[in-house]
Amino acid sequence: MADTSISGLTVEQAKEFHEQFKVTYTAFAGIAALAHFLVLAWKPWF
Amino acid sequence: MADIPRPKNPQDDWKIWLVVNPATWLIPILMSVFLLGILIHALLFTVSPYGAYWGG
Repeated sequence: MADTSISGLTVEQAKEFHEQFKVTYTAFAGIAALAHFLVLAWKPWF
Repeated sequence: MADIPRPKNPQDDWKIWLVVNPATWLIPILMSVFLLGILIHALLFTVSPYGAYWGG
């Protein structure tokens, strides 16, 4: 059984990167939700 | 074929990085999300009330 992963990252590196990925994605989704809410308040699209 | 346990998500989500190396693929992933967003907004602008704001 290979001890290195397909990507070459270790388990610790993968977990560490994923933590940052979740933070950044949550911030992106939050800002996008706020932007859509402001546009909705300005001019509803339905 | 060995009986491989099915992943439990979201607690196993991090394992994607054992397959996809972010040093190679993070920017392509971000660019494709950005491009998809641009395309979806461009499509919606053709049927939305906002075209008039831009003189459409």
